[in-house]
This record gives sequence, C-alpha cells and structure tokens, in this order.
Amino acid sequence: MVLEATMICIDNSEWMRNGDYSPSRYQAQADAINLICGAKTQSNPENTVGVLTMAGKGVRVLVTPTSDLGKILACMHGLEIGGEMNLTAGIQVAQLALKHRQNKKQKQRIIVFAGSPIKYDKKTLEAIGRKLKKNSVALDVVDFGESDDGKPEKLEALVAAVNNNDNSHIVHVPPGPSALSDVLISTPIFTGDGEGGSGFAAAAAAAAAGGMSGFDFGVDPNMDPELALALRISMEEERARQEAAAKKASEEAAKQEKVGEQASSSQDAAMTEAVDTSAVVADDKKQNLTDDEAALLEQALAMSMDGAKSTSVDITDADMSDATAEDPELAYALQMSVQETARDSSSQSEMSKVLEDQSFVSSILNSLPGVDPNDPSLKDFLASLQGQSETQQKQKEDESEKGGQLSFFWVPLVSCGGGPRACFIFGARICSSVTSLWPVDYPTFY
Amino acid sequence: MASVVSSVIPRGQVDLVDFVDWSGVECLNQTTSHPLANALKQGYRDDDGLHLESDADEQLLIYVPFTQVIKLHSAVITGPEEEGPKTVKLFANKEHMGFSNVNDYPPSDSLNLSPDNLKGMPVMLKYVKFQNVRSLTIFIEDNQADGDVTKVQKIALFGTTVDTTNMKDLKKIEEH
Repeated sequence: MVLEATMICIDNSEWMRNGDYSPSRYQAQADAINLICGAKTQSNPENTVGVLTMAGKGVRVLVTPTSDLGKILACMHGLEIGGEMNLTAGIQVAQLALKHRQNKKQKQRIIVFAGSPIKYDKKTLEAIGRKLKKNSVALDVVDFGESDDGKPEKLEALVAAVNNNDNSHIVHVPPGPSALSDVLISTPIFTGDGEGGSGFAAAAAAAAAGGMSGFDFGVDPNMDPELALALRISMEEERARQEAAAKKASEEAAKQEKVGEQASSSQDAAMTEAVDTSAVVADDKKQNLTDDEAALLEQALAMSMDGAKSTSVDITDADMSDATAEDPELAYALQMSVQETARDSSSQSEMSKVLEDQSFVSSILNSLPGVDPNDPSLKDFLASLQGQSETQQKQKEDESEKGGQLSFFWVPLVSCGGGPRACFIFGARICSSVTSLWPVDYPTFY
Repeated sequence: MASVVSSVIPRGQVDLVDFVDWSGVECLNQTTSHPLANALKQGYRDDDGLHLESDADEQLLIYVPFTQVIKLHSAVITGPEEEGPKTVKLFANKEHMGFSNVNDYPPSDSLNLSPDNLKGMPVMLKYVKFQNVRSLTIFIEDNQADGDVTKVQKIALFGTTVDTTNMKDLKKIEEH
C-alpha cells in the first residue's frame, strides 16, 4: 500500500531476440512488465508507473508516470528491438522523470530489466547507486538474459549502493522453462517491501506456483488470519476426504478380486497378475539394479511395516547394517522412524490399507526406474506384506482417525507423480531425512 | 468569526519550532538511524546522544514547511567540531528542491558556520530576505573537516510570526 511512482526501464537491445526464455527474451520481459504495472496500480490506486526504453536509438521515455494502466500497456506495443542498452543514461533519465512527478508525496522507484551485458565498471555503477540513495530513490533490478562474467556482481554492487533499509532488491533469473513473470511474482519486486503480498500478488502467486508462495496458501496469516485459517481447514478436510476415498478404493479392489478363499492368498494372486500385466512396461524402465538398491527398497518397506515379520526383519537388519556403514544419518533416520511407528501402531493400519491397493503399489514400482517388479525376491516380500496388512486391517478398522495424520501426508506425495523420492517415503517421519540423502546415495536414479 | 492565532511578542523572537508543519518535513540523504527529528524536534535536539547524520555523502537537504507565515530572524545550528556543518545555504519558499537543482537558484542567505556557531552562538540572518516565509529549505553543503559524514546536533530557528489564519484552528477558538 505504499504510495509510489515507478519508472520501468526496458531493455530492447539486440540481445532480446534470443529465445532462451519462452517465447523470446523480449516477450518474456514485456509480460513481466505488464504484470508489474498491474500489481503497482492495484496495490494503491494513486500509484503511477512510467516506462522508458534504454536501447534503440537512445534512451526514450514512452510514457511519463501515470496511473492509467491502459496507456501504459498500449505504449508497449510496436516496440522495436535493436541497438545497445545504455544503463547509466537510462537510470539517470528515469530519475529525472521521477523528479518531475506530479504528486511529490509518492516515493520514487526505478525497476530495471538488465538483459544485455553491462559494459560499465563497478565504480561507475556504485557512484550512480549512491546518487540514487542520496535522492531517496529505490531501485529494483531484474538480472536475466546474458550472463557474462561479472554482470551479477556489478548489479549486486549497484543495488547494494542504492539500498537504504531494504528498499531495493535484485533478482537473478536464469533461463529455464518457467516464465520470467512467474519467477518474479514471488519476489519482493512484486510483493512490495515487506508487505507480505497485496491481493493481486498473492493471488497471482497462488495461481502460478501452486500455492507455494512465501506463506502457506499464498495468504499472509498476519494480513488476513481468517482467510488463512479457512484455507488451512479446507486443505485438511480435503486431505481427509482423499484419504477416505483411497481407503474405499482399496477395499473395493479387495472385494472385486476375492475368489472366496483366504483374503491374503487372493490378494497375492491378484497382485502377481497386476504385476505381470505391467511387466512389459517395467522392462523398458529396467536399469542397472544393484543389490544395494533392492535391499534398501525392502528395508524401507519393512521399516514402515513395523518389522513384524521375522524374515523381513532379518533382511532389514542385514541391510540396515550395510546402510549404516555407508550412511549413519540414514540409519539414524530409519531408526527414529522405527521407534515412532512402533509407538503408533494404529497408524500402520492406514499404511497397510494404502499398501493393499495393488494398483497403487504396482504403479509406484513401475515408476521406479531401477526396480524390476518381476524380481522374485521383491514379489515374495510384497506378498508377505499383504499378509501382514490383512490381519492388521481387521483389528484396526475403526482407528482410521488416528492414522489420518500419516495418510494425508502420503496422498499428496503420490499425486505428484510418484517419483523415486515419493515412493520411498513410506513413513511420514522418515521422509525429510531420506529425501535429503537420496540424491547422494542413488545418483543412478536420475 | 474567524479565529486569529495570537501574534508575536513584540520585541525579541520566538522559537519557531512550534510552527513547523511536521507532516511536510523532509530530509534528503539522512541515515535512517539518525533522522532529522533528532535535530529539529523539541526534546530530541537537546539530547546529546541524538543527532542528524548524513548518509551517502556529506550533503544534506532539509525542507521545513511552516503552519503559518513567519519572518526569520536568526538561527542556531550546533554540531560536533569536526563533522558539524560549515557552509549552509537557506532558501525561502522553494518547494521540493533536489541536490541537482539546489545550485540553480541563488540562496536567500548563505552562512559560513564557525566553531563558535557550532557551540550554540546564534547566526543572524538577512532579515529582509525572510519577511514572508512559508517554507524553508536548508542545504548543508559541507562540514568543518570536509569529511564524508556531516553530523548536526540541533537546528533552532528564531523569528516572528505574521498574523495569519491558521486553517486548522478555525473551529476551535472563537473571539469576540
């Protein structure tokens, strides 16, 4: 809600023709600028925004600071790309344009998009920065495009010279699949200085980043506690609902494939069937399967199943010692989770139910690049798991509530594609430590 | 009946700190930890621990609007011996100046502070130039030691007010 006059400096030099940002550097820049203009004018109706170009024939002011969004967007049309960017002149002209703003109460801010290489040295840039600070002008820099040696440092020095009480920021955007605007939305350039997100920025952030902005659900609990609370409650209700749905699906699957004999054996048969049909698919994905990897898979499964079965426990212990030798942290994490899961046995029932869902388990296994579901040792182990889970399920059917904690965490992980990380996270407690260790131990998975 | 703010004590001067319009006071190139209020406000300016300090370089540009028209008679500017201000230029009724255009206008008065002034001796101003002052701009150009940082302990302005209607007081007082 800060009352601000902003000048945006566009880089329309030849370097903007490059396509390493989709669709082209210039277009990505234009989109980002449109979003910034919208955000600024929305956060405070009296804010004004102006635009100037730094390259082309020379520094040219396209529109002086105005609150008319249409005028700003219109002037961005038909801009020609060419020439070389003149950073110092651009900043000085921007400063002048801000000095002659109509409403002197507005704070002054310059946003620079620096896509081409910087030919000035650090000292010049620092002198400019000090001049801006002296005149209490804030500066935001978006470093994208060309990244020659020294460019990030030069721009950092510039922003550090201008920075007064954290009002100036710099963002480095490397080329990649995500759009320039999406990356910028979560930065302080959009959200303003320590405001925690205006409505526009928060909504955009939630849309773009899937609700993973700086705050939970893209809403600042300080700014809007009721909304944040409502979002959190609805998220948990959704998880509980999904977990109930998963439970139902597994039960139905069990009913469908029942031949009428012992439930465990029928499930076993069904399991092998499902595995067989997907064997062809699995074969494609077969990679070097080392004993370590298979062993650790079994060990992880065993850990989550409370290690009741003696054979599985033996395998587990053997593998644990191997793993411990290699990675004490992993062993500690596994140990911790064993203790905790032993304490909370009711939560296992939920886990078993989830594991019972053959289609679910086989889909996980298929997505694991290094695991071949046809591996006989693996099949036997899974069969034993099914047996365990059956007995547990009958006892603990009514204790679903307690297990909710574990499942709901499980479900969103699965929904994000069941990559190698998610698959091995059978125990909720294990997950954080294992995830961090995973790339270290198993580079071949990537 | 329009109210009239009481006029001046006929002889001598009044400390004009009461007539400063605080909502419009601005200072360029100050450090956030040592702002202008430390030098200008009653109470703060007499506290030796608080002072006004310059940030990026040694210059300071202070803009002081008043709630009514005043005549400026003299000023007291105190500061440390080394980092205290030396050359001070005063501009009457010039709004929103910047460092770039401060040298474009001739100052209403230009002071060269001596160490005595920095200890508290008042500086007499060109009274004729300050007969009708709505706002004052104080430009501190350099300091005694020509260093990079200027520190100001206190800025006090003395003068008289001109009978003016203070619009904010209109409803409060009625005189018959």
